[in-house]
Amino acid sequence: MIRSTGPQPKKSISFISTIKGTQTKGYSGANQSRMALSKTLTIAPEIKAEKMSISTPRTVIQVIDAHGVDVTPRPLYHPDPHTGTAKPNKLLTSREGSFAAEFISSYSLYQNTLNPSMLGHFTRSVLGSSIVSKSSVSTTESIAEDLEEPSYKREKLTSFTDLRVVRATPGKIVTKEDLEKTIEIILTETETLRFFNLPTVMVSVESEEAMKVRRRNKNYETLCRNRLGNDLYAERMMQTINGAPKNKDVQCDKIVKEDKGIMSTAWDLHDSYIAMELSSLPAKQSILDSCGKANVPSKDREQRVPGSTTEKDSEASSLMDIENVILTKVRDDEVDHSETILKSDKFHQDLFFMERVLMENIFQPKLAAYRQLPILKEPEPEKPEDFQEGEKLEKTEEEGQKEEEEEIEISTGQSTIPANLERLWSFSCDLTKGLNVSSLAWNRTNPDLLAVGYGHFGFREQKRGLACCWSIKNPMWPERIYQSPYGVTAVDFSIGAPNLLAVGYHNGTIAIYNVQSNSNVPVLDSSESPQKHLGPVWQLQWIEQDRGTTGDDKREILVSISADGRISKWVIRKGLDCHDLMRLKRTTSSSSKKGGEKEKKGEALISRQAPGMCFAFHPKDTNIYLAGTEEGHIHKCSCSYNEQYLETYRGHKGPVYKIAWNPFCHDVFLSCSADWGVIIWQQENPKPFLSFYPTTYVVYDVAWSPKSAYIFAAANESRVEIWHLHISTLDPLIVHVANPGIKFTTVLFAKQTDCLLVGDSDGQVGVYELRNMPAALDSGRGDVIDILIGSKSKQPG
Amino acid sequence: MQAEVEETLKRIQSHKGVMGTMVVNAEGIPIRTTLDNSTTVQYAGLLHQLTMKAKSTVRDIDPQNDLTFLRIRSKKHEIMVAPDKEYLLIVIQNPCE
Repeated sequence: MIRSTGPQPKKSISFISTIKGTQTKGYSGANQSRMALSKTLTIAPEIKAEKMSISTPRTVIQVIDAHGVDVTPRPLYHPDPHTGTAKPNKLLTSREGSFAAEFISSYSLYQNTLNPSMLGHFTRSVLGSSIVSKSSVSTTESIAEDLEEPSYKREKLTSFTDLRVVRATPGKIVTKEDLEKTIEIILTETETLRFFNLPTVMVSVESEEAMKVRRRNKNYETLCRNRLGNDLYAERMMQTINGAPKNKDVQCDKIVKEDKGIMSTAWDLHDSYIAMELSSLPAKQSILDSCGKANVPSKDREQRVPGSTTEKDSEASSLMDIENVILTKVRDDEVDHSETILKSDKFHQDLFFMERVLMENIFQPKLAAYRQLPILKEPEPEKPEDFQEGEKLEKTEEEGQKEEEEEIEISTGQSTIPANLERLWSFSCDLTKGLNVSSLAWNRTNPDLLAVGYGHFGFREQKRGLACCWSIKNPMWPERIYQSPYGVTAVDFSIGAPNLLAVGYHNGTIAIYNVQSNSNVPVLDSSESPQKHLGPVWQLQWIEQDRGTTGDDKREILVSISADGRISKWVIRKGLDCHDLMRLKRTTSSSSKKGGEKEKKGEALISRQAPGMCFAFHPKDTNIYLAGTEEGHIHKCSCSYNEQYLETYRGHKGPVYKIAWNPFCHDVFLSCSADWGVIIWQQENPKPFLSFYPTTYVVYDVAWSPKSAYIFAAANESRVEIWHLHISTLDPLIVHVANPGIKFTTVLFAKQTDCLLVGDSDGQVGVYELRNMPAALDSGRGDVIDILIGSKSKQPG
Repeated sequence: MQAEVEETLKRIQSHKGVMGTMVVNAEGIPIRTTLDNSTTVQYAGLLHQLTMKAKSTVRDIDPQNDLTFLRIRSKKHEIMVAPDKEYLLIVIQNPCE
């Protein structure tokens, strides 16, 4: 390692054997090409070779990388050769053959030219003498290296790897001492740089070419002599004509820029994809449109208002004018548009939902009680409590639940509060006011849908009739209204096709409506049928009958009973087809030997047929049914026989209005009649089992509770009674008295909840909740009632 | 059909506790309203923005879902909005009465 002579200023580069060149990064790029062309040469990457080629003058230095591509770097910066001489540098003379470890590159860093990329470079002479010359500024790209020197011993250069350049950072604080230091400057001469070397060629006189060479030389001499004034050589000068430059300016139209922003949301992307998919099917033109539209932000009013597209192009100042013009046009469109909005289906549906939501708000406590859900307690509207109510709301909810729980506990424990019917709400509206509710029926699949038939019973009171479908979700207006000139006496929903509603009229017609549509026209009508009923249809029921004999699946038939004494079966096959199941014949009370179909001689009866009032099919065996007549007899019939009764139950003195089988105990049924009585029968016993005569009013309707085998409800003119057989057979459990002037005409239990529907003669169907019913032994098992009957059978009915 | 719509609208308007019913189109111009114009326009503008936000929220979570109904319960009343691309059906109800 050769040290520099003289004190070294800070700025100069010091030679360090191991140099960590943090600032030699600039070389790395340049050195790579060196690396590329070096054949097995590992040169310190920091070392740069000067561009100036010292080596073979014959060839221009070329840098070719391993792939044979010429990557000769071209200098970007041509250094001023004079500036380089100021600095002291190391002039290293290395002896031949002693390259190893003595070959040191010289670095120079110039104060003035702080080229970070330049640190130094070395040059080597081709001829074996390695001379390190101080170089001026070198460029980063100047990496021409004469590696092709055959005499160059590359192995020697391995020592260079150890040499690194330390970039003396120009972070120098020039102190006064520095300035006053004596600096020795040594001026040296650079080595001779040969640019061109054309060695003379000497030819021996005696060679064959001598003659030629001589001749050539001679010619050349003469040529040189004749040069002046020779025609062959003329000096001429040429000047290229430069065309007159002309400036040309082009100005383009104003480029209108528009900013468009859109919030890219997941749904927007989804919409765009869907729109593109949809539009790819039709014509291509529409694709562009929809794509364009899909990318427009959601508030795209341009589509709707046709005139407003000009708004975009207009200047701001004229915006107002254009807007005014457009608005006047728009208003005309808008009028039409608003009408279409009002007529649209979607609007209709929205209104429908809105109404239901309103109902829910109004009736929330009642509906919740119906559905046995906790009731939300509304905060009190008084102002001082408002602030507290918001916090209290949750607490009140909990309290409400607790209260209910407490109540239930109380009821089960001590039942200090007697069982009662609490009125939740009533289905009524203006249309139904004044009409008599004649029948109620739940939809078989939708437990919230109720069909109500309005029509008077008596012949003289006949008015127009109405069949309505009410939904629990909207107690104030029926979902469907089917009007007819005749009173409706029976309604029932179909089992298999729950959208079919069969309606029986006072004139004997049976109509089937499709409740999916609102139209007043029934789907099927029996008014043209030759076998239609001639008297009011008092009861209708859809029955699923097993057609076991023919091997068919259960087929649904509509069974009707009417005052003309016929029980008919209707089948829907291209219209209503009617078959008679039974003709109810009059029986006289005394003749009881047979089922009683033969009349006594001598008794002149106006009609041989007894008007039928009601029927009930056995819950298990759909072949057997009971029919109640106006005479007061109940006949047990079978579908297989249409002439004979299987059995006759005599006990009532007046028309039997309703028969109901016990849903749990299939041997027991209940009947009510105009003779003020309710009788419980046993199937095998033609005599009444248990009879109740609580009041002196006609009992219009009875129904068993679906939850318990002991509970049934009876509606007579003035009150609704709930009987609980287990508790008492003498008195009803609950008695609900009607308002004066109103008669209760129908009862119906709600299936899933503890509620009872009661229809009255004013067109209202009240929904009552059975509260505080004794919970014990309400399991309703059939065997329990057998025990009951067994115990009671000792007592005569 | 038109008559039924009218009837339903009338019924809604006459319900217990309903303070106002409004049908406004997408630009906020009232088509049917039982309140005065300035209130209607104010409600329409505010609820339109809220509906957009709610719809965007619902659809961001699942793009195949969509907003069908919006209810805002406040101390004094409840605002129910049935939104659509072309209109807004707004009903204000005071359920306590």
